[in-house]
Amino acid sequence: MLDELLSRRLVILSGKGGTGKSVVGAALALAACARGKRVLIVEIDAPLEASRYLGVARVGTKEAEVRPGLFAVNLDPAAVMDEYVRRVVRVDMLARRVLDSPVYRRFFAAAPGLPELMVLGKIMVLEEARASRFSSRPRYDLIVVDAPATGHGLAFLGVPLAASRAVPAGPIGSNARRILALLQDADRTALVLLAVPEEMAVVEAQELHRAALDELGLRPIALVLNQCHERRFTREQEAEILSLAAEDATGRLARGVGLRSALAAARRHIRRRKLTRFYQARLRRLLPLPTVSLPYLFDEDIGPSSLERLARRLEAA
Amino acid sequence: MRSGAADRGSRALAAALAERRVLVVCGSGGVGKTTTAAALALQAALEGRRVLACTIDPARRLATSLGLAALEGRPRRLDLSRVAPRAAGALWAMTLDTRRTFDALVEKHASSEAARRRILDNRFYRQVSSALAGSHEYMAMEKLLELSADERFDLVVLDTPPTRHALDFLEAPDRLMGFLDASVLRWFLKPYFVAGRLTLKVATRTGAFALDLVDRFLGLQFLQDLSEFFLAFEGMYEGFKERAERVHELLRGEDSGFVLVAGPARSTLDEARYFYRRLREKDMPFVGLVVNRVHPDPLADAGPVPRRPATIDAELARGLLRLMEDQSRVSRRERRGIARLEADVAEPLILVPELDADVHDLRGLREVGERILGGGGRARPRRREKAEIHAQARG
Repeated sequence: MLDELLSRRLVILSGKGGTGKSVVGAALALAACARGKRVLIVEIDAPLEASRYLGVARVGTKEAEVRPGLFAVNLDPAAVMDEYVRRVVRVDMLARRVLDSPVYRRFFAAAPGLPELMVLGKIMVLEEARASRFSSRPRYDLIVVDAPATGHGLAFLGVPLAASRAVPAGPIGSNARRILALLQDADRTALVLLAVPEEMAVVEAQELHRAALDELGLRPIALVLNQCHERRFTREQEAEILSLAAEDATGRLARGVGLRSALAAARRHIRRRKLTRFYQARLRRLLPLPTVSLPYLFDEDIGPSSLERLARRLEAA
Repeated sequence: MRSGAADRGSRALAAALAERRVLVVCGSGGVGKTTTAAALALQAALEGRRVLACTIDPARRLATSLGLAALEGRPRRLDLSRVAPRAAGALWAMTLDTRRTFDALVEKHASSEAARRRILDNRFYRQVSSALAGSHEYMAMEKLLELSADERFDLVVLDTPPTRHALDFLEAPDRLMGFLDASVLRWFLKPYFVAGRLTLKVATRTGAFALDLVDRFLGLQFLQDLSEFFLAFEGMYEGFKERAERVHELLRGEDSGFVLVAGPARSTLDEARYFYRRLREKDMPFVGLVVNRVHPDPLADAGPVPRRPATIDAELARGLLRLMEDQSRVSRRERRGIARLEADVAEPLILVPELDADVHDLRGLREVGERILGGGGRARPRRREKAEIHAQARG
């Protein structure tokens, strides 16, 4: 799957909240980095997410190299808009006057879709950026975008389409069309769906898949099923656990550890593992997408070493 | 008793559920917010209230958790007989149709038939009212006002959209008012287009720069549509403003309450802390903070351990111990975050253990509700489990 993804330059992750988009996005970025790519992680209005997992200082609104070859940026819509104003106005003093005016602030705070359009426009600029003025090499080989959660993610990705319809003429319309073309270009952009083995997350992934195809013209290319509980007991051991639990077996397992609570823990695990398998099968049946399963993390803290483990799993998938 | 604080949290929430007229359930995505909202609504209905559960979530979560294929834009009464044959109350559910609410609002406030048509036919409006992010929140507030006055219901439980910054929801009406504020936008756009030609003769030089800027990057077509849109809204502004003020009043009043929902992961606990502070700053009535899906620590809640060694295969024993250590590590990770949050907000948190199975029917919802409120005859054994989790969370 990684090969498939890395042949694109823009990867957008979307799925229900709580499915671990930031973590999976960062792991994907690390996997690409390990293959020698220059990678940019884009967070949208979430300054703490990537930094929290990568163990680096708060990611700012300017792209910063957080590890060799790995860059991160937090696109705060208001800051992106300000930057745009500065570029258009050029004269610093005038730009400041615009930026300071309450009219501008209020307009930007509420103009529907404008923040989303600005952020997507910035992502497009980053995708098109060259390594240097005279180079044909792109500045980033891969850009990983952590998109807002499904309901809003759809609205977010739907903005260029809506804007190109609402304002066919003028710079807004033409920018919206360019962004839309980038998103819909399956050679440049990969939409990756994210879910966890739970009913609602899976239903949302299916819904997102349908809406992306039918309403937005975006083709999801893969699904990552995160937080999977993998088998850790053999079939015979599981049967043994269930029968011991059924007869309410007791005894001492280790110092201060009773068999009864061990069996309760094991039954919780078995239930989760079966659910994982159930949803894996359902997704295989219902979504015509290559699916990668990532393991549930039992780490003391979700940090860089957790991400590296996930990155290796992505590489192996 | 260590579980005292936990029960206090549950009791306060149960009281709010019995007395208030509007409960707004907020939280970041993926924390079981919709399930919590639906479960609380069901509990209130089982206690005899006439409850409407309303979701603004563009995804179909509430429907899924109520065991329905889809929700409609108008309240639909649910059949509670399967979970409670003699329930005294009643439960309705609906989803918010943003576009229809917006249309209805325009119909209501437009000064004339011509103004109404001008808005409804405006290209900008047609996209804005349904397709773009943000309008859900605007319209939710509007709908809330209408539903809270509906005599069929004595409680409305509102499930808010899973914004990453859940506060967007609270601030949306202010933003809308800022946007529609006649003194800002009329000043901004009207002189430009009413003149019918490209003129920069506006009141101030900053205004001129701003217009020039807007022209350069938004383009004339956009400005034209936008100014038409706002001109059409002229006269509606006062109505909008009045409604927005009433919503604020409603939400700040004694009849309303905010329920915050978080998960045990650090990022959602951080969001809950932030949201709690903002609620307090805005003087909004807080009625409870629910942390869902808290994992038990199998190594901490062992209870008395028999002396007699367990007679099981050594390999299996090692596997079990490894599993328990893993689960214990997750629990400790969560516990640290929960304890920090509890210290920061100085409110009793309501901790809900992770469920054995997904919830996607009324029966499951009922169980969730009982766990949250910690009461009900059937839920009594679980109370102990809850107390244990609380005890662990407090170290």
